[in-house]
Amino acid sequence: MEALGLNPWLFLAQLLNFGVVVGLLWYLLYKPVLKMLNSRTERIEQSLKDAEQVKLQLANAKRDYDAEIAKARQEAAKIVAQAQERAKSQESEIIAQARREADKVRDEARVSAVQERDALLREAKGKIAELVTLTASQVLASELKSRGHDKLIAESLAALDRRN
Amino acid sequence: MSLRMRILLSIVVMIVVAVISRPLMYSGDPHVEVAAEALFQITPGIPFTNSLLMMLVVDVFLIGLALLVTRKMQDVPRGLQNVMEVILEAFYNIFRNISPKFVDRAFPLVATIFLYVLVSNWSGLIPGATSIGGCVPKYPEYNNEYTTCAPGYALIPFGRPPSTDLNFTLALGLISFGFFQYWGFKTLGLSYLSKFFNLNGIMSFVGIIEFISEIMKPIALALRLFGNIFAGEVLIAIIIFLVPLIVPMPIYVFEIFIGFIQAVVFALLTMAFLSIATTSHDHDDEHHGEAKGHAH
Repeated sequence: MEALGLNPWLFLAQLLNFGVVVGLLWYLLYKPVLKMLNSRTERIEQSLKDAEQVKLQLANAKRDYDAEIAKARQEAAKIVAQAQERAKSQESEIIAQARREADKVRDEARVSAVQERDALLREAKGKIAELVTLTASQVLASELKSRGHDKLIAESLAALDRRN
Repeated sequence: MSLRMRILLSIVVMIVVAVISRPLMYSGDPHVEVAAEALFQITPGIPFTNSLLMMLVVDVFLIGLALLVTRKMQDVPRGLQNVMEVILEAFYNIFRNISPKFVDRAFPLVATIFLYVLVSNWSGLIPGATSIGGCVPKYPEYNNEYTTCAPGYALIPFGRPPSTDLNFTLALGLISFGFFQYWGFKTLGLSYLSKFFNLNGIMSFVGIIEFISEIMKPIALALRLFGNIFAGEVLIAIIIFLVPLIVPMPIYVFEIFIGFIQAVVFALLTMAFLSIATTSHDHDDEHHGEAKGHAH
C-alpha cells in the first residue's frame, strides 16, 4: 500500500476535495450555464413558434387576399356581364325605338307624300279641268264663231305652251 | 531550393539537434515514482504530497474558470462563455442520450469528473509543472550527481498530476461507484440486488460473476485512469531522458489526446454504469418502451 502511495488521509482529502469542487462547480458554473442554455432554448423555440404563427397568419392573409381578389374579379366580371347585357338590351331597345321612329317618320313622310301627290293631282285635275273647260269653251266659242278646228287646236296648244 | 529539399534539410537539422541535445542537456536518470511524494508532513502520518498541491492548483483553476465564464453572461455567448457552453451542452446531450431519466441528477457529478480529470491529466504537461522541485530527504545511500541536492536527498517535483496518484483515482472511482449504486438502489429498491443474488439456475452463477464485475468497476476505473496517465508521464520522462529536444513534442501531443480520452472515458463509463444500474433485468419491456419514447 505504501509503495503505491495509498494513504487513508490523502484518500479522504481527495474525496472531500472532489465533493467540494462538485458543489462549487454546480453552483458557480453548471447552474448558470444550464439556466442560460435552457432560457435560450426556450426563447429560440418561442421565436420559432412565433415565426410559424406569423407564417400561418401570412398564409391566411394571402389566402384571404386571394379570395377577396377572386371575389372582386368575379363581381367585376358579373358587373361587366350585367352591363353588357343591359347595354345589349338597351341597344336593341334603342334600335327598335329608332326603327319605330324611322318607320313613323317614313310613314308620316309617305302619308305626307301621298297627301301632297293627292293635292298635286287635285290641283292638276283642277288645272286640267280648267284647261279642258277653257279649251272646250274656246272650241265652242270658235265653232260658235265659225272658225276652223285646226286653228282652234293650234291656238289651244300655243296657249298651253305659253303657260308651261 | 525546392520545397522537398527544405523539408529534408529541416528533418536532418532536427535529428542533429536532437542527437546533440542528449549529452548537452542530460540531467540525470528519469524521475519515476509510483507514489506521490511528500513535500512536507502536515502531522506525522499525514503528508502533504505534490499531487495534493497540484490538486489545489486544479481546484483554483476550475473555480477561477467557472467565475470567469459566469462573470458577465450574455445572451449571445462570446469567448470563454461560448467555449464552455459548447462543451457543457455537448456533454449534456451525450449524457442525455445514455440515460435520459437521470441526466439532470448526474450531470453535475459527471461533468465535474470530466473537467476535473481533464485538467488534472493536462496539468502534468505544463512545462515545469513536474520538473521544478526541491530537495527532500530520501535514503542515506541515495546520490544523484546531476542535481544540486546533497547526498541522501532527492530532487522531487513540486507538482504531480492528481491522476497519477492512486488516492485520487480511487477516490474518484469510489465516488462514481457510490453514485450509480445509490441510484440503482433508489430506482429499483431491493430488487436491484436480484441482479447479483438469485436462485434462477444458471443465472445465480451469472449473478455472482456480475457481482464480482460490479465490485471491480471502481477499481477498474481508478487503475485505468492511473495507468494511462502515469504511463504517459513516465513515457515523457524517458523520452526527455533519451532525446531532450524535438522528439518529445509528438509525445506531448499524444498525451494531450490521451488525457482528453481518459477524461471522456471516465465520465461516459460513470454515466453508462448509472444507466445499467438503474435498469431492471425483470423489466426489459419497460426499458424498451422508454427507449422508444425517447426515440420519438
